Amino acid sequence: MLKRIMSKDSQMRAAINQKLIEMGERERLKELLRAKLVECGWKDQLKAHCKDVIREKGLEHVTVEDLVTEVTPKGRALVPDSVKKELLQRIRAFLAQHATL
Amino acid sequence: MKMEEVSVSSLDNSKLEALAQDILSDLVEDACLGLCFEVHRAVKQGYFFLDDTDQESMRDFEIVDQPGLDVFGQVYNQWKNKECVCPNCSRSIAASRFAPHLEKCLGMGRNSSRIANRRIVTGNNTNNKSESDQEDNDDVNDNDWSYGAEKKGDALVVLACVKFQCD
Repeated sequence: MLKRIMSKDSQMRAAINQKLIEMGERERLKELLRAKLVECGWKDQLKAHCKDVIREKGLEHVTVEDLVTEVTPKGRALVPDSVKKELLQRIRAFLAQHATL
Repeated sequence: MKMEEVSVSSLDNSKLEALAQDILSDLVEDACLGLCFEVHRAVKQGYFFLDDTDQESMRDFEIVDQPGLDVFGQVYNQWKNKECVCPNCSRSIAASRFAPHLEKCLGMGRNSSRIANRRIVTGNNTNNKSESDQEDNDDVNDNDWSYGAEKKGDALVVLACVKFQCD
């Protein structure tokens, strides 16, 4: 019984995500987030952090994995609350409109 | 209650909220990854450190953050209290009043013809003492906002004089 409910749940999530992509909303949200993050200086902050990582690992030897492991956790933490709020508002609005099967 | 139908009403708010948070999380991760790829490419193509110069030069052009100075380190209200000599009347005028004064003094600009007309109208009805006062009136007239009041008053004086003469 529980299994069936769970799969319905994840089914619904998958359906929502698909709708998000199909309607172009995910792309718009991505662009909005990117613009906001540049505006608030997040990108510059992280770029500065990247410089430190690169100097540490050496310019020749740094890999994508190095950057991802160093940058992603800090990146997540540095997103300002106002930006999160705004994005969440838009996502909730989308869900309210389209989260039905 | 049908178990086959799944709709928003059967999902409580906490689930929707969790979903929203997950979507946000995915988007943030995308942004981070995007940055990583961008940086990595810049590193491998050799243009990542292009905008850096040596420490010394960077210090030379640092943004200045002192009171009374702009970001380049220049004094920005340095001309506020300076005085300029008018080439026409050879008077010493404050820098911020200089342009309007020059307008009146040279007889160019939008308002100077208006003043001249007004003076012609009122100059005939007042005694000659006002002629010598006209240069000093320049500064009084510099404030454009008092224009309306002065004009009306002068017009009333003209009307009164005309009426007086007709009686």
